[in-house]
Amino acid sequence: MLGSRGDTAAAVSRTTGGLLRATGVGKKIDEAVLLLPTDVELAAAQCVVLRGPNGSGKTTLLRILAGTMPPSEGEVTLGGAPVDERQDSTRTAIAALIGAPATYRDLTLVDHLVLIDSTWGRVGERAEQRSDEILELLEIDHLAERFPHELSSGQQQLFHLAMVLVRPCSILILDEPEQRLDTDKRELLTEILLDRKDEGCALVVACHDPAMTEELADVIVDIQPA
Amino acid sequence: MSRADQQRLTQVRAAARGNRTDTSRGDALYPVYVAVIAAGAYGIPAAQQLFRSLDGRWLADEALTPAGLIVAVTLTVGLLALIRFVGRVHGPVVPPLPYVEMVVASPMPRKVTLGRQWRLSQGGSVFGGLLLGATTGAGLAIAGVASPALLLSTTVGGGLLGVLVAELWLLGQLQASSQVFKPGPRLPRGRRNALALLDITSLRRQAASNVTIGGAVLAGDLRTARLDAARPTTHARKARLKTGRPLVVIARRDLLGLRRAPGSTLYGLGFAAAGSAGLMLSLQSPHTPTVAPLLSLVLAYLGFGAWCEGLRLHADNSGTSRMLGLPYRDTAWAHLIVPVSAWVLTSVVVNAVLSLAGLAPGVAFLWNLGIAVLLAGSHLMASFRGIAPVGVFGPAGMPSMIFWYARPLLATLVVGTAMTAWAARIPVPWVAFSWLLLLAAGVVGWGLALVGKRDKRS
Repeated sequence: MLGSRGDTAAAVSRTTGGLLRATGVGKKIDEAVLLLPTDVELAAAQCVVLRGPNGSGKTTLLRILAGTMPPSEGEVTLGGAPVDERQDSTRTAIAALIGAPATYRDLTLVDHLVLIDSTWGRVGERAEQRSDEILELLEIDHLAERFPHELSSGQQQLFHLAMVLVRPCSILILDEPEQRLDTDKRELLTEILLDRKDEGCALVVACHDPAMTEELADVIVDIQPA
Repeated sequence: MSRADQQRLTQVRAAARGNRTDTSRGDALYPVYVAVIAAGAYGIPAAQQLFRSLDGRWLADEALTPAGLIVAVTLTVGLLALIRFVGRVHGPVVPPLPYVEMVVASPMPRKVTLGRQWRLSQGGSVFGGLLLGATTGAGLAIAGVASPALLLSTTVGGGLLGVLVAELWLLGQLQASSQVFKPGPRLPRGRRNALALLDITSLRRQAASNVTIGGAVLAGDLRTARLDAARPTTHARKARLKTGRPLVVIARRDLLGLRRAPGSTLYGLGFAAAGSAGLMLSLQSPHTPTVAPLLSLVLAYLGFGAWCEGLRLHADNSGTSRMLGLPYRDTAWAHLIVPVSAWVLTSVVVNAVLSLAGLAPGVAFLWNLGIAVLLAGSHLMASFRGIAPVGVFGPAGMPSMIFWYARPLLATLVVGTAMTAWAARIPVPWVAFSWLLLLAAGVVGWGLALVGKRDKRS
């Protein structure tokens, strides 16, 4: 069962042309409005970029799309079924980087990637080699044997991106992935995300970088502050 | 300290106090007053009850045997090693952060600026030792285990232990400091120069950590306190995690973690071996004092816990973006593979040694399998206990907080001690073993409920 998760992600991608659909989703906590009702529709090999000022609710919307936060109104469906991170099918389809992910302080960078890759049941596909390749792709292969606490903030961001990119998925949700990256690395990340899109992966990215937005976006959703 | 330095320091302290009067002497003496009252009201009655429950004659007989002396020396050495380790994380000379930034960083000699902090810690340690010695001596005398004349020896011994503790505590802090800067020709190594050798970076780190840990403890966020106190890993970075099936790779992760934390691995092994032996020996006679399985379980709990870092890190990671392809609960199960296997293996080896020495039969090992279930459950509870519920901040305060924090250990001690003591006293221990399994399964169920709660919250 565990060995077939990567295949399941691809299957979700193939069978659900309109992969992820959010209809009038909004979030309120008591009287505080975190997100005004918003619509988002995402198809395979498409990139939706969320824009908006700080506090407009981009991260809240990403959490709702990833199924880690229920909306107060509206609904989000993944291939026609409600999105919920507790469901295997949601976790298999969606890889999200919203805030810093969990790291083990006693594992090196490459160990983290091997661990993540192996838990997605891709043992036979040479997880170790793939982990090295991801580090190389992000130009942090020289940091493979460092521990997370030995990285600069920009290197940490690249490592977090490597963690989310190493696992199979059909939808990639990223919250301001350009944070703390220099210009060269932003360009590199844009190229990597464009390649992912070409491979059929759907992207939802909250982004403040105009150049990245222009390169990546098929659809731009401007989030209005509450 | 020169007169000029003394004058400058007095001025600095006056400036830091503002217009308020100097209450530092009273502030330092108040804990002494409280400690003396607490020792008289609670310490001495508790000590005499403990010595009574230990069976005075058995204790007196055992204390003067070579085995008793070995146990006493081992415990003392263990305590002193622990004190030195504590010094590396939190030394005796940790002034408040603003004082470090504004006074210790000034050109005034460190011996002057840090002198009061050191004297307070040293004095506290010596006084604590004297009080502990006096309380122990009084407890022994009142329980009728030893003559009242022993009170003087235990008090003096406690005081000497206090001096030793203070020195080792400072040595630990000094060693943490010299990892940053080596002593140079103008700052020679040596005890006399100890305060001057403390560098600003490690003083600042310990002071900041003091604030974080203090705040985390007050807020009931003991996870933050634990992570802040832990030293970052740097060992065996060349070793790589090998891929495997999902559950196998989690177990390999934990093994690699233990390889990169040799200290925890070894102390876990020592405690687990001692606890395992103690439990198997406790079953051999109906006359074994109940305190024997109780202490063995404390050691077993600590030893098993040293091997559970993977489980704790998994619990720490709840609430963040999930990357692993295993469900949360399955990952928690997988993190128990290494500690349970290590406990079983240790018990097998210890049992073989005890069997060869004729101290316990081979079948005694089975008891530790039941204890393995109990320890797994209690460490699930401990790792996933989360942040203290708001209720513990109510009028009951600190005792509620301690009870909330100690629930996993208490569950282990209550179930394990009662069942082990019962098994030693009945002709058919299998009945007790069945109950042990049943109750341990209950503890595992409690642990899993906490795992489920964290899963939903994250």
